[in-house]
Amino acid sequence: MGSNGTGKSTLLKIITGNIKTDIQIENSFKNIFYLPQNPYYPSSITTFDYLSSIFFKNNWKWFISNEEKEKINNILMKIGLYDKKNISIENLSGGEIQKINIALGLISDADILLLDEPASNMDLNNQVNILKLLKNLTYNNITSVIIMHDLSLALKYGDNFIGITKENKIIQKDSQEFFSMENLKKIFNMDFEIIKGQNNTYVQIID
Amino acid sequence: MAKKQILSLIILVFLFFICLLLCLFYKLDIHNKELILSYIRIPSIIKAIISGSCLAIAGMFLQTISKNPLADPYLTGLSAGAGFGIVISILLFNSINYSLFGFLGAIITAFLVILLSGFSKFSITKLILIGLSLNLFTGAIISFLILKNPDKSYEMTLILTGGFSSSEIFDNFLIALFILSIIICSIFIPKLNALRLDNKLIFKNQSTANKYNIIFVILAAFLTSISVYSAGILGFVGIICPLLSKLIFGNDIRLLFFTNILLGSYLLLFSNFISTNIIYPLQIPLGIVISIVGVPFFIFFLLKKGGILNN
Repeated sequence: MGSNGTGKSTLLKIITGNIKTDIQIENSFKNIFYLPQNPYYPSSITTFDYLSSIFFKNNWKWFISNEEKEKINNILMKIGLYDKKNISIENLSGGEIQKINIALGLISDADILLLDEPASNMDLNNQVNILKLLKNLTYNNITSVIIMHDLSLALKYGDNFIGITKENKIIQKDSQEFFSMENLKKIFNMDFEIIKGQNNTYVQIID
Repeated sequence: MAKKQILSLIILVFLFFICLLLCLFYKLDIHNKELILSYIRIPSIIKAIISGSCLAIAGMFLQTISKNPLADPYLTGLSAGAGFGIVISILLFNSINYSLFGFLGAIITAFLVILLSGFSKFSITKLILIGLSLNLFTGAIISFLILKNPDKSYEMTLILTGGFSSSEIFDNFLIALFILSIIICSIFIPKLNALRLDNKLIFKNQSTANKYNIIFVILAAFLTSISVYSAGILGFVGIICPLLSKLIFGNDIRLLFFTNILLGSYLLLFSNFISTNIIYPLQIPLGIVISIVGVPFFIFFLLKKGGILNN
């Protein structure tokens, strides 16, 4: 996390190789899935067809198998868009399109998901659902790197945090150490109050 | 597949066969039936089908990978390269057998365009812009050459509008090339379904996506050169057919592959029929007929279902 323009998206682009640098990146992951902020989608394509595109990526067959169809149906069910599977994607709302794109990552067999503000257009309920889904993936050794601005959600579902300060310095810590008043002051240039409860930690903005 | 799509497909196939029969048997002279069929009508039909479907598929490839509805063989400079080859052949060798030179010109332009766009830092926008400038550049040279050689200017202008009248083409070779290209295309077609997604969404690394982009550009160049080899420069088919079939049949490339073949060859067969028959015995240049037949049809569909193209 960090303020606008500090280079969060640039960092992801460097990792994926969309921006070429001299930095050598050691990659221990097999398949990377990167979701940019506003990805292109073709017009007049149904949700189901859009998701099925990904299965043509790595093999030469003309038809997708029943298992793969089942996989798409399952993921649509999980994100609550099964009833909209035959609707053109441009008729969906911004949050729904974001959910579809995340679903694309979930069925892509990637073991690391790099998501650039994946939930910015979703309502709170959907944000929580998606983050829960991504959190559950970590138990299957699938890592998610998420750029997000919502501190309370990040604190609730994140394990490790990277903050980029205005001076382009990087603070990398786990959730216990990251959410301290000094770190947040450095990143957002605002004062926060950290409330430690019995099981949870809460963050409160001080005007 | 939805019911509407199946119905449209049936109508398209039906129209295609009616047009085919019309082109074959309309006002056929009984006495020289076999001669006319085997020397004039069948070759021109084969050429119409080959060039139409090749242009339509090439246009579909370019539009899908560039994600730009304006991309087509004409705009990316492939056809202009072919035209340059034709003009050179007329000027230097005084020959009507322009198709072979068109073929060479298209291939050379394709490689020039790809080379200038750069293999390592390949980008689609660059490809279209370079193709566009090459198109304008060769176009200017052709116009200059036409002005410079007024004695052959009629011949050159006529050839640049395209047509099926040149009979000096080895039909068997052409058919073999066409079948080969269709087989190669049908291997790669499912891949194109994956390229519908944003290029930046990566699953292994960026270079694999670019690799397939380049493969499809080369395939499109190959198809365009076959089309130019068979019928000269025909603009508009490569841009109208992919868009039209996308409007009617949706977004599945596997289905669009066949509808493009049908629609491209249908458009050319129909235009060919009109160009040879409407002010008989005069022949209207094919390019003119395609525009007159195609544009109103296309604008009608665009107004009716054009919302689809807004993104």
